[in-house]
Amino acid sequence: MSVAWQFYISTVLIYLGVDVMACWGLNLQFGVAGLVNFAFIIFQAAGAYTAAVLTLGPAQPASQGGFQQYVGGAHWPFPLPILAAGLVGGLLAALVSGLTARRLRSDYEAMVMLVVSLIATSVATNQVRLVNGPNGLALVPKPLATLVNLSPIDYQWLFVGITAAICVCVYWLVHIVTSSPLGRTLRAVRDNEQAAAALGKNVTGLRMLAFILGGVIAGISGAVFVEFISAWSPGSWLYPETFVYFTAVIVGGSGNNLGVMVGALLVPVGFLEATRFLPPFGPPGFIDALQWIVVGALALIFLWFWPRGVIPERRRRFPLAAKNAAQHEVPVRTGE
Amino acid sequence: MRLAVIALAAALALSSVAACSSSGGGSSGGSSSPASTLVVGEFNPFSGPDAAFGPEMVGGCIPAIRLINADGGVLGHKMSCVQEDTRGDPADAVPAAQKMMATETSLVGVLGPSSDEALATVPLLNTGHVPMFVDTGQAAFDHTTDAYFWRITPADDVKGYAMALWAHQAGYTRAAAVFGNDAGAQSDVPTLVSAFTGLGGTIVYNKPFALDQSSYRSEIESILATHPQVIFTEVDPQTGATFLSELQQLKGLLPVIGTEVSLQAPWLKAVNTAIGAGSMAKYFEGMQPYAPPSGPAWQTYNQALLASGSQVAKPASQWSSDPYSMTYYDAVNVMALAMLAAHSVSPAVFDKDVMTVTEPGSGKTVVTSFAAGKAALAAGKQIQYVGAGGPIVFNQWHNSTGAFEAAKYVSGNVSLVGSVSAAQIAAISK
Amino acid sequence: MNTIVPAIGFGIVTASILAVAGVGFTLQFGVTNVLNLAYGDIMTAAAFIAYLVTSAGVSVWLALVAGAAFGSVFSVLLNRCIYTPFVRRGTRLFGMIIVTIAVSLIVQNGLLAIFGASFFSLKMSRPAPVHIAGMVFTTVQLAIIAIAVVAMLLIHLLLRYTKLGKAMRATAADPDLARNCGIATDRVIDLAWAISGALCGLAGVILVMNVTAFTDTTGSQFLIPIVAVAVLGGIGQPYGAMLGALVIGLTSEVAAAIFNPEYKDVVAFVILVIVLLARPQGILSEVATRKEVAA
Repeated sequence: MSVAWQFYISTVLIYLGVDVMACWGLNLQFGVAGLVNFAFIIFQAAGAYTAAVLTLGPAQPASQGGFQQYVGGAHWPFPLPILAAGLVGGLLAALVSGLTARRLRSDYEAMVMLVVSLIATSVATNQVRLVNGPNGLALVPKPLATLVNLSPIDYQWLFVGITAAICVCVYWLVHIVTSSPLGRTLRAVRDNEQAAAALGKNVTGLRMLAFILGGVIAGISGAVFVEFISAWSPGSWLYPETFVYFTAVIVGGSGNNLGVMVGALLVPVGFLEATRFLPPFGPPGFIDALQWIVVGALALIFLWFWPRGVIPERRRRFPLAAKNAAQHEVPVRTGE
Repeated sequence: MRLAVIALAAALALSSVAACSSSGGGSSGGSSSPASTLVVGEFNPFSGPDAAFGPEMVGGCIPAIRLINADGGVLGHKMSCVQEDTRGDPADAVPAAQKMMATETSLVGVLGPSSDEALATVPLLNTGHVPMFVDTGQAAFDHTTDAYFWRITPADDVKGYAMALWAHQAGYTRAAAVFGNDAGAQSDVPTLVSAFTGLGGTIVYNKPFALDQSSYRSEIESILATHPQVIFTEVDPQTGATFLSELQQLKGLLPVIGTEVSLQAPWLKAVNTAIGAGSMAKYFEGMQPYAPPSGPAWQTYNQALLASGSQVAKPASQWSSDPYSMTYYDAVNVMALAMLAAHSVSPAVFDKDVMTVTEPGSGKTVVTSFAAGKAALAAGKQIQYVGAGGPIVFNQWHNSTGAFEAAKYVSGNVSLVGSVSAAQIAAISK
Repeated sequence: MNTIVPAIGFGIVTASILAVAGVGFTLQFGVTNVLNLAYGDIMTAAAFIAYLVTSAGVSVWLALVAGAAFGSVFSVLLNRCIYTPFVRRGTRLFGMIIVTIAVSLIVQNGLLAIFGASFFSLKMSRPAPVHIAGMVFTTVQLAIIAIAVVAMLLIHLLLRYTKLGKAMRATAADPDLARNCGIATDRVIDLAWAISGALCGLAGVILVMNVTAFTDTTGSQFLIPIVAVAVLGGIGQPYGAMLGALVIGLTSEVAAAIFNPEYKDVVAFVILVIVLLARPQGILSEVATRKEVAA
């Protein structure tokens, strides 16, 4: 396989890893805890900026040839910036959920989060001293690059391995949450809030926990992303990016980790990358507009044939509950 | 958990397989089979908010390869332009770059990237040994050491100097700065402010503008309250049209000095319709790199452009005085001539000849088209290619900036009004 | 200080456009529970229709009608052919949002593919400025305000005094009950989409009359303020949307006059967030309805 193809494929694999982690995080918030977070992308962005700033070191003033301005800066070695990014993602999530804390009905909350996403983009773009405004941060050193002396392509594969390892850690965390009693409680809260509250579960606190964990994972995914691309600007986290992840989660099947993985493979990676290979024809720009039309059409097709996702959340059967259900005809609701 | 272990194992297995078969280094497009078509990548946004950049690039690339192919191609190869949409942001541009380098085995060079994605993709293209002729003006590249980076378009900070000089020459002392809050526009501002103030003027209003709003009337009232004599601006076409038409309605236009962005077809079209041709001719001037639509090089370009039919966005004449399209046209010619000079289509070999075929020198034959250059090289001469966009003089950081011209838009044409020399710019940029 | 009074005038113009668009958007959500994120792109499409009409030499006022008609027909077809079938197949709310986003992608890029990445303007005569009470308007803007006022009046009459209006309010409040009471909810829904679609088309045309140059992304850039207006007023509350439009239109213009214009687009949003935190059901919602579309 030619080196150039290896570059492309390794890039796609890294993107897949980042998107899978992001979708797991979103799934925790949306699929498991039932919170609609249309500002999801800003948690990823916050993680990316954090990791970038903590790897770049303090900003160089323009007189010394520096061309970026940002707050803070340190030269932390890998993997500290990534952990810090997760922390920042979690803190931001705590702040946001603390403020909204289920006081809004879910569709209002969704719209408010959307607006928050826009406010964040505007602040980041206009306050140049914060994270270098519209130009964004660049030249972020890649992790371990100076420690190991590898050729560019070998380093790519090393990064694929690093991404995979981080994915495994994140999955372990997510799995613990979703398959534990905590996960069951979260799903109960999602499906029937009043019943869960009546059983004495701390609904608000649990939702906040899921939200924060989702934020942590989003931050980690952003950190890995920026350590790979080495640049990060507001153009990479506009509010529609949240919808790409939402589409991935819903097309794949929310509420379950495998479905979400499939969604991440299909939507951000599959649809968006495969359409690059459409053969060019027509006037300039025509084929590129067509690519996006195909993305939209694919999303519609997948939602048509699999309305609950390619891998829907499986109904959990509890033998005793099933017997009781048969007796009392209580419908078991599986949510999305 | 099992799933995760499998995934990890798969990734590691892939890594080891790939590592065994990798050959180190990251070159691409080096080897071309005897009759393969050489590809120039058009690496720019073709969709999203900056979708207008792409067709402008095509308007420069297509005329160039038409002429090159009509003249027998380069070392027996024909050339072609291939679009690669970066979608306007770094995260999408990185896989686009990798995919381009993977699928185009005869990639000899790239036009672009733009400021939307340059910071992320220039290092990739440089590692991949792909010569690139960028259209980003970001100051980050003013002192770049990337061997494959070439910039014929002016850096944004240089534009600021030119605007300040021109306004000063016209006698203005009070100016308002209306620049969009995007990367490209904001980079013009610091040098503009420092130069204009250094020349004795005052910037009475300087606040970044949010783009594509439905109205700017309140901002206009604030600007008018500061009594500026002239307005410096760089905003996108929609914003420009809204802003200037509202200014016209509220009080009447002031003299406006724009940049080359405001001399491109989409901007001219939008604003001309908004404020009317008469006002456009009377109040508006743009500073662009000195690229008069005249002279033999431009004639060659324009003829080829107008004959390009449906390969360029219609009407083809909209690119006739577009300085970016001209620089793209020149870039392709320079690549082709560099290949001829180096007797090789491998970028690693011919990249340094980009400098050789453009720098001035005694005894060099000045050529203004690919055909003339090819003939001169075949006759054993050394050449200096002077393009539709004027002479190209790369400094040690592969940046080429020359003089600037002020141009008006009169009766549907961009026409020269005056100029600011490179020496003048150098004088105030200390 | 003398920039504030004109700013209020400008705010009224922005509010007019937002009101027409916001009422349409909120009607769609109120009656049919679909958060139609393709709304902005349908506005753009209507603007392009108006562009084609004026390019053919027809007066811009007829182009307005054409745009509104297009918006109406397109929205009805969209609901019948795409949204309703998806809902019937069991797509839940947030799946429907993805559906509307997919439609938005297709419409916006369809326009890009057909018309190209250029900028367009409606052929209109140049408007003259008019000074009223310290505020400055142009004749076109006064027309826009008049159109908005008339449209709002008609909607008010429709909702309050006609049978259709009552049927729409009933369907919005409780569709099953409405059906059981004998209301032909399907027809009501069609008409709701037709009316809100007409508002959408109308808003698209007056938007580009105001901004003078537009492209394929113009409408979708306006979407978030429209959503903010609808949410601020209480989703499904047309009168709330009108009030929300005034609030958001005025605050953005006044803020741009007093503070930094770079934050113009988000000052209104900050206000939205603050208001909603204080009053979670929106300004005019009488009761925090339980009718949230289930996640």
